[in-house]
Amino acid sequence: MLIALHPSSGVPVYRQVLQQVRERILGGQLKRGEQLPSVRELSAMAGINPLTAAKVYQFLEAEGLVETRRGQGTFVAGDAKKLSAASRRAEIEPALRQLVAEAIHLGIERGDLQRLVAATFESIKSGENL
Amino acid sequence: MNTEAIIVENITRGYGGPPVLQGLDFRVSRGSIYGFLGRNGSGKTTALKTLAGLIRPESGSVRVLGGDPWTFGAGERQRVGYVSEKQSLPPLGRVAKLVKFCAQLYPAWDHELCDGLLNRFQIPLKSRVAKLSLGQQRLLAFVLALAPRPDVLLLDEPAANLDVVARREFLDQILELIRDGKKSVLFSTHILSDVERVADRVGILSDGKLVVDESLDDLKESVRQLRFFGFQGPPPAEIPGALRVRRDKNELMAVLRLNGPDAPAQIAARLGCQVEDNPLSLEDLFIELTRNSR
Repeated sequence: MLIALHPSSGVPVYRQVLQQVRERILGGQLKRGEQLPSVRELSAMAGINPLTAAKVYQFLEAEGLVETRRGQGTFVAGDAKKLSAASRRAEIEPALRQLVAEAIHLGIERGDLQRLVAATFESIKSGENL
Repeated sequence: MNTEAIIVENITRGYGGPPVLQGLDFRVSRGSIYGFLGRNGSGKTTALKTLAGLIRPESGSVRVLGGDPWTFGAGERQRVGYVSEKQSLPPLGRVAKLVKFCAQLYPAWDHELCDGLLNRFQIPLKSRVAKLSLGQQRLLAFVLALAPRPDVLLLDEPAANLDVVARREFLDQILELIRDGKKSVLFSTHILSDVERVADRVGILSDGKLVVDESLDDLKESVRQLRFFGFQGPPPAEIPGALRVRRDKNELMAVLRLNGPDAPAQIAARLGCQVEDNPLSLEDLFIELTRNSR
């Protein structure tokens, strides 16, 4: 697993790694039942503290995205897709808050923002901007 | 097994003048990398020397691997590696001779690791120690401290004089050392991005005491820079608990220690304004927390 790190950003390293692994699970790049690197392997691959790697797995497990099988390792949870609605929301929450805060700051009304979001959603989904 | 590799309790120490350490308190767990920060003259080197058993605190207690480093015998001393800020390597001619000399002193010497690292750091065994660059001498001292696989590794400004590539190698090596979860590293540095990359815990020494001693993640998540704007009336004269406030016309920028993710919105509601929440890098945090001290 290749991880892009920005240690000097204000975002803690465990959050950066957590987000990248979470994206892979939610996006289906890591398939259900697939084995994840061990804490030691992840720490070596990403060049991060093993305690940080362990913390990432604790969070993923609490979110129901991975499961630890005793003596075997950590695996993508079988029902990761089902459990992930809350995780998806948690994932998008910061970006959403940022967007809404900026809109308020710029004086964009709620109805206008909703229309903008809907239009952008359609345009990206139909591939116009890809 | 004791989970704390280092326990420092309320130590004081000076050199005749005003005390350098004034009630220093902290712990380093096994399996942890502790980043020890502070401005020049804040007492980092003095603290590391007491941990290495080179000087004795005037009061308080220091425990390293359960014992007092000041009274360590040879066996206990071998379990603690120390690279001082101004490492002077013994002038024993060539690198090979110095390595052989050190290896004889340590039954646990890892020859494979030592040779591998010298190779990786491009330090030729045939070179004269005195002819190595400052950075290479520093790396050699680091390799000699690492080769006995110490349970505790104390490093005083290890990255000084290292180029960025060597520094990254060095960081990878301390990560490698602690990977079994039993060993600990305490390192002081001015290079905050190194701490951000590998440390799990950070201490900031200021006026002889720690003003910060917590997990780096917690620190970054709790100390934030908030911009308050859109006040109905004039902005308040101060923000309670703020470490620093800057103001301009109808907005305020405050550095605050928050007690939860909802805190910014709560403060903004109380002040009757809007808020923008910005994280701070360790460098910014360090500046905010040590601005007015030594």
